[in-house]
Amino acid sequence: MTSLTLAGIRKRFGKVDVIRGVDLRVADGEFVVFVGPSGCGKSTLLRMIAGLEDISEGELRIGDRIVNEVQPAKRGVAMVFQSYALYPHLTVRDNMGFGLKVRGVPPHERRQRVEAAAATLKLDALLQRFPRELSGGQRQRVAIGRAIVGEPDVFLFDEPLSNLDAELRVHMRSEIASLHKRLGNTMIYVTHDQIEAMTLADKIVVLRDGQVEQVGTPRQLYERPGNLFVAQFIGSPKMNILPIEAVAGKLPGQPKTASLVGVRPEDLELTEPGSGFVDARILISEYTGASSLLHVQLPSGQVFLVAHDGEAPPADTSVGLAVEPGRLHFFADSGRRAD
Amino acid sequence: MPAKPTTGIVTQDASTPWLTLKMREAMEAWLFIGPTLAGFLIFFIGPLIAVVWYSMTEWNLLAQQATFVGLDNYDDALFRNPDFWLVVRNSVIFALGLVPFNMALALALAISLSRRFVGVVFFRTVFFAPVVTSAVAWAIVWKFLLQGEAGFVNQMLAHIGINGPNWLREPDWAMAAVIVTRVIKMVGLNMILYIAALQAIPRDYEAAARLEGASNWQIFRLVIWPLLGPTTLVIMVITTIGSFKVFDHIYLMTGGGPENGTLVLAFYIYKQGFEFFDVGYASALAMIMFVIVMVLTLVQLALRRRDT
Repeated sequence: MTSLTLAGIRKRFGKVDVIRGVDLRVADGEFVVFVGPSGCGKSTLLRMIAGLEDISEGELRIGDRIVNEVQPAKRGVAMVFQSYALYPHLTVRDNMGFGLKVRGVPPHERRQRVEAAAATLKLDALLQRFPRELSGGQRQRVAIGRAIVGEPDVFLFDEPLSNLDAELRVHMRSEIASLHKRLGNTMIYVTHDQIEAMTLADKIVVLRDGQVEQVGTPRQLYERPGNLFVAQFIGSPKMNILPIEAVAGKLPGQPKTASLVGVRPEDLELTEPGSGFVDARILISEYTGASSLLHVQLPSGQVFLVAHDGEAPPADTSVGLAVEPGRLHFFADSGRRAD
Repeated sequence: MPAKPTTGIVTQDASTPWLTLKMREAMEAWLFIGPTLAGFLIFFIGPLIAVVWYSMTEWNLLAQQATFVGLDNYDDALFRNPDFWLVVRNSVIFALGLVPFNMALALALAISLSRRFVGVVFFRTVFFAPVVTSAVAWAIVWKFLLQGEAGFVNQMLAHIGINGPNWLREPDWAMAAVIVTRVIKMVGLNMILYIAALQAIPRDYEAAARLEGASNWQIFRLVIWPLLGPTTLVIMVITTIGSFKVFDHIYLMTGGGPENGTLVLAFYIYKQGFEFFDVGYASALAMIMFVIVMVLTLVQLALRRRDT
């Protein structure tokens, strides 16, 4: 069993609290993504799990063991770094076999395991090359290969795709997903890219300022964000938020405690002025191919985004904005979801 | 007169400057490097050619008379003068003692002082300060410290029951004393180079190695040390060249003695040229030293290339 349990985990650098009490359970074989804006502590949390940063307070369990004081190499984890961290003076073969070598694995077994991992990742032809002779995607695969060779219980990925171009990122994303399917190991993946989080994760952990904002499946986070931050962080383009008093009349399903209403751009529809829940004026439209992203201005002066299929109305056109009642999200003054 | 039709396009004739853009850029480049180039030709290449010429003459400064003697000076140095080989031997011993000691100490200091801790800047300054201290002051102070019974070093040793030798007057100890004092003076420079190199190594390499189970020694031997290779080569080359060129330190501390025990090549060349005024012979020795240093440097470069 390689589940992980984080209980009251805290991290202080001097007087600064970077991680402020994280409680989390990761099930065996689960693919969990830590997502959040820059500086939210997601990489620090990952490094704490790896053992590269001390835990100031709290308890970390991997399987049944408390590992707070266990050396990184003895935690049964392998990590893929954002920078790949491939040793530039070693060939791909030696990079992948490095961990086995320092642990005293005999050369013939080392060779077998490296070649098996290389075959899995289609790196066979690159084993004699140096990292400088590889493309970004190949380096990334070698970094993953190095992690696989050690046969860890848990894989940790620290923004592994952020140095790749958009096309390669999509490709590597699918490779990581299929790797997880094939190996079935527990994986924890850090990213600031919510598309990566949504596409890869069994479970997403949204972090802000060293605290967990919400934990859930991608669908739960998208359809029922627990607070304003998650509502606006998950989903692209981000959710429109409007003070409830800017809407004429009571909205369907509006709770008493609600002071803000949120609606995703893709849930909005253009109607005749006066027939929606609010009127607006088209400012600009951005044609993206599959649809257009309209910037519309409400009577209050606030700008909303609308994802619109088909021909976009010209600028300055007055329109109404309609939405299905079930697609409205209500939030209280505190920012918490109001149901 | 009918007006010329205007096209709005400025013709090339009207706007083309005297020189093309490429020529102007080249001229600017030459203006920038000109002063340095002139200095290099006048003060380096010129004297080098002169030394090659003098090395093939018998030229006594006092007589102001130069006679072309071909390779006689070289023949004399290499095959007839036993002092020359003693001097080469001393220079090699000096280099063999100084270079590894200097590099090992510099690396040890750099590893200790590349971490962050309170007072690190103070310690770096302490170890670097001798590099910028006057060589003359340094040598004179150490000469006093290393005196026989009255010397500070021996007085300290006496406190722990050791009867120290007369460091600079005993043939067995003089070379060791000049090597150690020279290392302490110059180690700060190599330390700074190693610190810069260590800090340029991404921390992720160490983290990755640690996660894979490498011990501190394995991380150093298998990751850090190979990555320091280019810096090590530079340090080795400049320290070796510096050790063969050492002059002021020897001149001030031992004057080449005792019993010619610290008489090294650069100091020997000085003695031939400016004590015995035999400029032709001194020039031949200087050329031999140039070749020795060049060969050593090429060997080190070749070894490095083979390693990578």
